[in-house]
Amino acid sequence: MSNEISRKRPEPSEPEAQQPVQRFVLPPPIDIYETEAGLGLQADLPGVSLDSLELQVQDNKLTLLGRVLPHVPEDAKLIHQEYQVGDYLRSFILNDEVDHEHISAKLNNGVLEVLLPPATKSEPRRIQVNTD
Amino acid sequence: MPVFRWGHNWETFQDLEREVDRLLHSVNLTFQGLRFGRQYPLVNLYELEDEYLLTSELPGTKVDDIDLTIASGVLTIKGKRTDLEHIPDDKFRRQERPRGSWQRSLKLPDRINEEGLLAEFNEGVLKIHLPKAEEIKTRQIPVSTGGQ
Repeated sequence: MSNEISRKRPEPSEPEAQQPVQRFVLPPPIDIYETEAGLGLQADLPGVSLDSLELQVQDNKLTLLGRVLPHVPEDAKLIHQEYQVGDYLRSFILNDEVDHEHISAKLNNGVLEVLLPPATKSEPRRIQVNTD
Repeated sequence: MPVFRWGHNWETFQDLEREVDRLLHSVNLTFQGLRFGRQYPLVNLYELEDEYLLTSELPGTKVDDIDLTIASGVLTIKGKRTDLEHIPDDKFRRQERPRGSWQRSLKLPDRINEEGLLAEFNEGVLKIHLPKAEEIKTRQIPVSTGGQ
């Protein structure tokens, strides 16, 4: 019983040297803009490669997850830090204006570009009304 | 109702000061991720056995738009990002990413071999290799007596 409790309780934060596997998850900054082909979305994901990027749409939620592989040798000692290196995670709620089936994306120079094409409006359908 | 109260009027300023502090603080927190009011680009410095490694995140920047120069121990990184310049401002629904031109100068330690500098740019991450200089020889300075 006592074991279980101590397992569930998070350990007090140790000095970083003892936790080399500590990862940060950061929300990437994004731009959203209108184009003729639909809504454009660009996210800054420096350090993310094509293999380490996951982009998925579930129901009406678009989720992007970019894993950043270490870009410095393991024995490199951090002596001055201004930015955190971590994985990127952010999700967006898509509205009905977006055609969920035809979302396209590309990744260049650490920038993800997603194109959200507009959904085709369904034509009004006339319903014939008859009398008996 | 006293029009002028000696000793009390400063409190207003203190309140104002506090209020402004609070405001600035909240602004700073809100925009922390956007690098407003901070130097750009941000850099990290690593030390390895035979070199220092300076890294910086410059997503959306073309290699040709990055300009690296070194003069008298100061490394200057200059560049611009123009990736969404063709989109008019009123078409943006959300704008969080920094854009435009930027420049930053960094003083390098003396123990760097400036000739051996190497830079690479991949997936929006700039890496500058700064090789450590050979052992700097101790120089003897002669001390003389006399003179004035």
